[in-house]
Amino acid sequence: MLDYYAQLVVNGIVAGAVYALFAVGLTLIYGVFRFINFAHGELIAWGAYLTLMFSGFLPFGLAVVPALFLTILLGIGQERYIYRSLRQRSRITLLIASIGLSYLLRNALRLIWGSDLVSFGFETRRGMSFAGLIVTRTQLLMVAAALLFLAFLYMLLNFTMLGKSLRAAADNTELAEIMGIDMKKVGLSVWILSALFAGVGGILIGIDTNLEPVMGLINLLKAFAAVLLGGAGNVWGALLGGLCIGIAENLGVAFFSPGYKDAVSFALIILLLLFRPTGLFGLIGGIR
Amino acid sequence: MRKAFGCIAGICLLFSVAGAYAAEEVAVGSITPLSGKLAVYGEGFQQSMLLALEEVNAAGGINGKPMKILYEDNNSTAKDSVSAIQKLITVHKLPVLFGPAASSNFLAVCPIAQENKTVLIGAESAAAEITKCGDYVFRVFPSDELQGKGAAELTVSLGYKEVVLTYINNDWGVGLGKVFKENFLKAGGKIIDEFSHDEGKTDYRSEVLRIKKHSLKAAVNLTYIKEGATMLKQAYETGLKVQWLMGSASKSPKLVELAGESAEGIIGTYPTFSQDTPQYKHFKETWEKKYPGKKIPIFGEYNYDMVHLTAKALKVAKSLSSDDIRNALIEVGKGYMGVTGDKTFDANGDVGAVYGKWTVKGGAIQDYKP
Amino acid sequence: MDYLLHILVVALVYTVFALSLNLELGYTGLYNFGHVAFFGIGAYASALLSLAGFPVAFSMTAGMIMAGAAGALLAVPALRLSGDYFGVATLAFAEMIRLFFLNERWLTKGPMGLPGIPRPLGIPSGVSGLPLYFLLSALVAAAVFLFTCRIARSPFGRALKVVREDEYVAQALGKNVFSLKVQIVAVGSLIAGLAGALYGHYITYISPSDFTLNETILVLLCVVLGGRGTQWGPVVGAFLIIFFQEFIRFLPIPVDFGRVVAPIQGMVYGAVLVFLMLKHPEGIIPEYRI
Repeated sequence: MLDYYAQLVVNGIVAGAVYALFAVGLTLIYGVFRFINFAHGELIAWGAYLTLMFSGFLPFGLAVVPALFLTILLGIGQERYIYRSLRQRSRITLLIASIGLSYLLRNALRLIWGSDLVSFGFETRRGMSFAGLIVTRTQLLMVAAALLFLAFLYMLLNFTMLGKSLRAAADNTELAEIMGIDMKKVGLSVWILSALFAGVGGILIGIDTNLEPVMGLINLLKAFAAVLLGGAGNVWGALLGGLCIGIAENLGVAFFSPGYKDAVSFALIILLLLFRPTGLFGLIGGIR
Repeated sequence: MRKAFGCIAGICLLFSVAGAYAAEEVAVGSITPLSGKLAVYGEGFQQSMLLALEEVNAAGGINGKPMKILYEDNNSTAKDSVSAIQKLITVHKLPVLFGPAASSNFLAVCPIAQENKTVLIGAESAAAEITKCGDYVFRVFPSDELQGKGAAELTVSLGYKEVVLTYINNDWGVGLGKVFKENFLKAGGKIIDEFSHDEGKTDYRSEVLRIKKHSLKAAVNLTYIKEGATMLKQAYETGLKVQWLMGSASKSPKLVELAGESAEGIIGTYPTFSQDTPQYKHFKETWEKKYPGKKIPIFGEYNYDMVHLTAKALKVAKSLSSDDIRNALIEVGKGYMGVTGDKTFDANGDVGAVYGKWTVKGGAIQDYKP
Repeated sequence: MDYLLHILVVALVYTVFALSLNLELGYTGLYNFGHVAFFGIGAYASALLSLAGFPVAFSMTAGMIMAGAAGALLAVPALRLSGDYFGVATLAFAEMIRLFFLNERWLTKGPMGLPGIPRPLGIPSGVSGLPLYFLLSALVAAAVFLFTCRIARSPFGRALKVVREDEYVAQALGKNVFSLKVQIVAVGSLIAGLAGALYGHYITYISPSDFTLNETILVLLCVVLGGRGTQWGPVVGAFLIIFFQEFIRFLPIPVDFGRVVAPIQGMVYGAVLVFLMLKHPEGIIPEYRI
């Protein structure tokens, strides 16, 4: 019986690692720009689908590169052509535009690849057994990739000028500008980073399960739950939040119907917003 | 505001013109999944219907007039099936309709057909609930009442007295699951755990783990093709070794293709019909001539029978009103031997069936011989 | 002619739905992205009650009230959140409601949905009932329209607009901002529930897939395209969108391309929303700013 729960936790950690990637990207955007980009989820989906397309004629490992590059362009495009001009207008305009954009991107996906599930088509293999727990190679890959990117982020934030500018900008945008930090460069890097993380996460999810057009939206809401859990703008909080969501979802299924698995994150969003909008780990404001 | 009224007036004009079609044909409607998750089957249905339609028209049509099938896409959803049937009834005013595939979609539209006294025929819908749809509703595909019994018998005969039961969360799965459970319990079996799983998910690991938790020898999994393939693959990954017992909706080369090695050894039930009859041989020949190289699609034979049976009814019907067509259908059904067997309708518009067993061996679907 | 009536009924249902969202979004500036939840609660409550044998008029009223109550219940805690967060919270709430409809099979029959929902006032369920149902919907829509006009012109309505423009000013003027917001969400949810019930009894079949994010986008589009914060805006928007949708059905699209219609439609809706926000955020009927 203990095996059963332990296995659920293991699955949760794997899922959580990917959610952490999404959450970190989302929280960076929120920290610097202070708005919720509903179309962020579509970067997740497009990253995965573009990889599918390129893997049709490139080996998978190589296919990832142009796919991620295009995903980053997509992210930058969102900012440059749509959000930048709307930032001066009212809040609601921005929000409606981002919802509209996400709907547009999601349906473009459906148009090109159909509404059905598609798969990268990897072979099924028996998982490896460690002390009564089963872990598949894919799951190990997911955790390794997530750790790699997060380590990269850590080094960026703490050991480079760019990283320090990012942290300053997220803390207080106006002050950062006064101090001479190039907000354009900061803004660009934030979009690149978050799009990259989203795309990578999407690819990992695609490897683990399948691809479907709504994968962006569902994961966006989970990422948002993780962001809230960790405190909006708090990068390490987002990481922990992602792990928590992953574990909570998977463990939760032991107690109620698997149909409600996604509802765990929704319920968490509502509960957190109502009772602890600053998150479990910190204050709003600042990339810490 | 004036702008809007102008638009509306213009569109209204457009609609009043729509709906006119050649009066020299006899048209029936068909709600078919041309897009959406069942689109891959929808193509097969259309091809089979076309095969039969051409034969009907080559033999003189309906008393000299050509027969025509008007297709409405239901996007594989119940909601669009409802819009489609509304359109076919209100705009085209057709007295006979071929119902949508997937029991849930069929059940959504059958009250509408019944209310409007439109004859509705189904060729793919197995849910037991459909029996209660009403006297204007027929189907050439057998009800799962029979399959549930067959599945329970199979499980008991294989020696499995305790199983985990899971079924897909829609009318087909829930209905079949219920009938299986009734019959299995009656035969002295025990269901240790029972739960449904949602359609169209990418991740069934939670469900798979729940099955694994019980460490039983057999699991009854009544599900569709994609869902089944995903579950089988993920079960394989987690090292779950169990005898899978599945239903007719899983019996497809596509499932074996998607699931690969993890599909080996499945045993299941399905409604059979003899492939030695002259009707079947004729169907196979004609199919191969018209669509060389293409495999006969799932439910293809049923769609073929449905069109031929309907054409026959239209020929003998006293008029093209739905009541007359309905009575004619019952008449011509008596003892009609189609490709899929005897199509006599019972009082509820259902047909009978014989159930056989299938298994997956060496990557191919075969009949199961114990 | 019958088909025209059918489209008009759907357009009228969406008019009521859009008018209710307009109260919250247009007048009060609340980003309620989960409005479809109340549409769904109204539809399901009314359908379940009438299938259980209660008279339809009673079921529709009960459905309305339940939707309104749910709205009030959500509003009290949720409105403490600032704009963006309220939007996300309502979105999450709508998804949870949909999952509830999907999973509680014992109550809602889950994905199988509820077929055979009866019509009110003895209106027959088939095509023959169309003209009467059209009349009913038109009456309901007219009543809701007049009601929203009255709110707009009243001091209550003016206060709402002040809240939308600047909450702090409203508070400084002595308005109980929180109470105003809760009231309008309750009223908006009530009317959305009415629209939902009207929808359910018309189509005679509902399932959880009728109440998804797609419907939220659709009604949002109706309000935004038509003109938020105006009286006629949502009406125009609803008619335009619904007629456009049905118009697509009649285009002679070759069968092979059938599957692209829905995604392209979706792309158009998304693009229209973005385009509107960029170039013409007031929509077709602009609000007269004092």
